[in-house]
Amino acid sequence: MRSWFEWVGAMESSIALRESLNAYPIMLTSHVIGMCMFAGLIMMMDLRLAGVGNLNSAITDVQRRLFPWQMWGFAISIVTGLLLLFSDPMRFYTNFYFWTKNLLLVLAGLNMWYFHQTTYQTVDQWDRDPSPPFGAKVAGVLSIAFWSSVIVVGRMIAYQDLVPQWWRELVPRG
Amino acid sequence: MSLQPFFLWMQEHAFSAYILNETWFSPIVQVMHLIALAVFAGAILVVDLRLLGVGLTRVPLAKVSEDAMPWMVWGLVALLVTGWPSVMSTAMKQYYSPFFWWKMELLVLGLIFAFTVRRRMARMDEAKLGPVWPKAAGMFSIAVWTGVAVGARLIGLLS
Repeated sequence: MRSWFEWVGAMESSIALRESLNAYPIMLTSHVIGMCMFAGLIMMMDLRLAGVGNLNSAITDVQRRLFPWQMWGFAISIVTGLLLLFSDPMRFYTNFYFWTKNLLLVLAGLNMWYFHQTTYQTVDQWDRDPSPPFGAKVAGVLSIAFWSSVIVVGRMIAYQDLVPQWWRELVPRG
Repeated sequence: MSLQPFFLWMQEHAFSAYILNETWFSPIVQVMHLIALAVFAGAILVVDLRLLGVGLTRVPLAKVSEDAMPWMVWGLVALLVTGWPSVMSTAMKQYYSPFFWWKMELLVLGLIFAFTVRRRMARMDEAKLGPVWPKAAGMFSIAVWTGVAVGARLIGLLS
């Protein structure tokens, strides 16, 4: 794995991106804009699922009609995120919060997937209920928790010194 | 009147020294600021999209706006509370950063617009508004808030 990251980091395009003065601010700022769009609209949906917000809308409306905009936000975040990773892979390879963020992204995805396979199957019966079933509330609250955590550790990537001691010993920065 | 003495006062305040001395204080308020930002941005965007004629179009504009309002207000309160320590502890850096003033000017513009024109528009009869004005308001709001976010991110990167 380490050698793969090192190989990407040694690519000419990666070096060019890393040494460009403007690339980093543009990528990071766009990443924040994508985050606002994606996480913002995900949370608006989760609040409805949890039964605490956007109660005038049906759940399926919130799900389907915000979906394309969530996907645009997601696309911006993913593209700029991958570019950031591509521009300086070794900085992320050694970063505790980068790997924690990946783990939390998987957990957030699994939560969505599980909810859609289970509770959401019967949505027709509670689509307009201000207070959805317990399973939907749990999925909404978990989603807010997971995506908030993704944001938290994403910001913490900048604080690579504030990490557990065992991590420093496991992955020396070199 | 120059605001420099005020910023100098903030920088030299004991609270600023405390923040700078506590390793975890700044990162914790920064991550809370970002979570508040996501809530605020979502509440703003859901109404702006509705003004543009997309998103939650099956519900009247006034209802979408009414639903989003508490999240926008509480998101804003959380943003101000968590943003304040960052401004205080780095007051002189902020004062001399063009992006800080860019952010604050657009922020004031965004708030005035959100609580006057946009709010009144969201409560009006949609048929009377016609097709053009809501779209213009939605575009303007998205543009201003995007500007705030861009300015905010650049304070840390380019100043």
